Amino acid sequence: MFIDFFYQLKNVGIPVSPTSFLTLQKALNMGLINSIDEFYTSARAILIKSERYFDVYDQAFAHRFQGVELPEYGGLMLDEVTRALLEEWLEDPASLAAALDMEESDLINLTPEELIEYFKKRLNDQKGRHKGGRTWIGTGGTSPVGHSGYHPEGMRVGGVSRNKSAVKVAMERRYKDYSRRGPLTQDMMGEALKRLRNMIPVGPKDTVNIDETIYQTMKNGGEIEIVFSRRLKDRLKVILAIDNGGWSMDTYISVVQTLFDYARDQFKDLKTYFFHNTVYDFLWEDPSRINKPMRVEDFFSFDPQTRLIMVGDASMAPYELMAADGSIHVEERSGKPSIEQLKFLAQIFPHCVWMNPVSSQIWHHTPTISTIGQIFPMFELSLDGLEGAVNHLMTK
Amino acid sequence: MENKTVNSKFSGASQYILDDELASIVNVSMALEMPLLLKGEPGTGKTMLAHAIAESLKMPLIVLNVKSSMKLVDALYQYDTLTRLNDSRFGDSSRDVSKIEDYIKMGKIGQAFTSDIRTVLLIDEIDKADTDFQDDMLDVLDQMEFDIIEIDRTIKSKYRPVIVITSNAKKDLSDPFLGRCNFHHIAFPDPEMMRKIVMVHFPDIDSNLMETAMSTFFELRKIEAIEKKPATRELINWIRALKTDPDFNPKMMGKGDIPFLGILFKKSQDYKKAVNFSSHRNSN
Repeated sequence: MFIDFFYQLKNVGIPVSPTSFLTLQKALNMGLINSIDEFYTSARAILIKSERYFDVYDQAFAHRFQGVELPEYGGLMLDEVTRALLEEWLEDPASLAAALDMEESDLINLTPEELIEYFKKRLNDQKGRHKGGRTWIGTGGTSPVGHSGYHPEGMRVGGVSRNKSAVKVAMERRYKDYSRRGPLTQDMMGEALKRLRNMIPVGPKDTVNIDETIYQTMKNGGEIEIVFSRRLKDRLKVILAIDNGGWSMDTYISVVQTLFDYARDQFKDLKTYFFHNTVYDFLWEDPSRINKPMRVEDFFSFDPQTRLIMVGDASMAPYELMAADGSIHVEERSGKPSIEQLKFLAQIFPHCVWMNPVSSQIWHHTPTISTIGQIFPMFELSLDGLEGAVNHLMTK
Repeated sequence: MENKTVNSKFSGASQYILDDELASIVNVSMALEMPLLLKGEPGTGKTMLAHAIAESLKMPLIVLNVKSSMKLVDALYQYDTLTRLNDSRFGDSSRDVSKIEDYIKMGKIGQAFTSDIRTVLLIDEIDKADTDFQDDMLDVLDQMEFDIIEIDRTIKSKYRPVIVITSNAKKDLSDPFLGRCNFHHIAFPDPEMMRKIVMVHFPDIDSNLMETAMSTFFELRKIEAIEKKPATRELINWIRALKTDPDFNPKMMGKGDIPFLGILFKKSQDYKKAVNFSSHRNSN
């Protein structure tokens, strides 16, 4: 019945799956949800799987139930839903079958058309059975059952009593801080970067592998067989190259600083270099880019398994990237255009990414961003981007 | 064999302050027989909730503390090969060495499945384990059965346990995992809620102490760039310390020096910042 609510949630970018939507229907059918307050919390618990979407959910909920009459459910929203349904059918037939109350084998035998027919029928069933339910939702979001009176078995809740309707609560947007669009804190960065780890066995076989020893001993009929193995060590090497020059990066200092601080704590084998705008002949070990230059060619001697993370806005005049004498610093004009140097780096370090603090929505305004994006896989310096970058860096 | 009826509802317990939002989520999850995944800052009472559910529903609580090195089978059962080896060599126990069953011990999930009454199963800090562990575990919890390969026997759950899973991680768990859980994020308690929580722990607390402690606590939480902000647990311990210190006078705290900062801030960096903040406040 709330099919358009489902659609609306999808529309605002929350990944809601048809299975979870059917779970919600099940909860409604079981009579577990008797007021809009309960609908608000239960639907959120069932449909929304990350607090980062809570804020968006609140907005969608408030918009949806703020005294607006429910429009009659028509066929027009169904395309989106069926597409999602079919995707889920392909990916995870077992749980969809469970949600639709049918055997997995029966489900697999359905044609896509039959499946959609069946799904529609199920929804219509519920629509019929829940006529009463529709009205209370339509009355503008006040619960007829009343606050806190909704546990007939006498459930008493210690703690706050909430004298507001769910809509009002939703409109408060209590979860704004957790929104995906929020700023990147060190904590969040830490979580995202934690997966950047490469545990490999190294050194002599000097640790007793107890499980294996016992297993082999048992296999031997009780004759003791001690098995040794190597220790696991994190051998991930990381090079962090940061664009710290020019006014264009000034806005992003704090977020880059956070990344830098965290990286320094986290990785044992971390080398940090600095550049201005883009890479010409040198990268510098000192932030002032004066004392410790390192020739780009010399990076060839590094382990090619090193993860290279470039951080910069990649925004500059095209000639700075393309021209042989593009550098604004005269001493750096050796004749190779920067784009060649970048390609060289990307070539010697196959595991590389470019983190860009500029919002990805406006990348297409700057030509050099897309040019560099063709050389380095580029990710936005946000939580999502960081996760994507980590995934990319860890693929073998 | 599953217990389909939910004849009891959860309504909070003596040591736990529950907001009604969370209560209805717990109830819905129990009725739908889905695990409830709780996220939130450390110290917001994720683990306490499972204890409270168990207490209020009068069910035994089984806690599985997830560790990073843990394999799923450790949570299901353990084949005690070492004891068997010992018995086979020195054979002085009542166990029958030729019967492998005698050497199978149930892990936490196994205990919850084989229990004769319905239990609350708390799977604490699931994010410590790797993704495979998480997905495999959900398979087991979905089907409510697992095999013991050594003796080729299937363990089916007698009663579906009430499952509560906690996670500290800021990053998301895998999609299939999330798809099978209900989700709730416990927000940090607001001052009003916090006052109630403190009251539960210290029913006879002096109102002066309460007010100064609360305002100082929330002030301290506002210090920027703190890695591990003090949470409920720290506040409770801190108040306990303040109460036992005979020299402590609540009126003094408003004016500057904050005692026992080490209870609130556990990382040396954070501690330094807090001390800085405290002395800075003093000079103003």
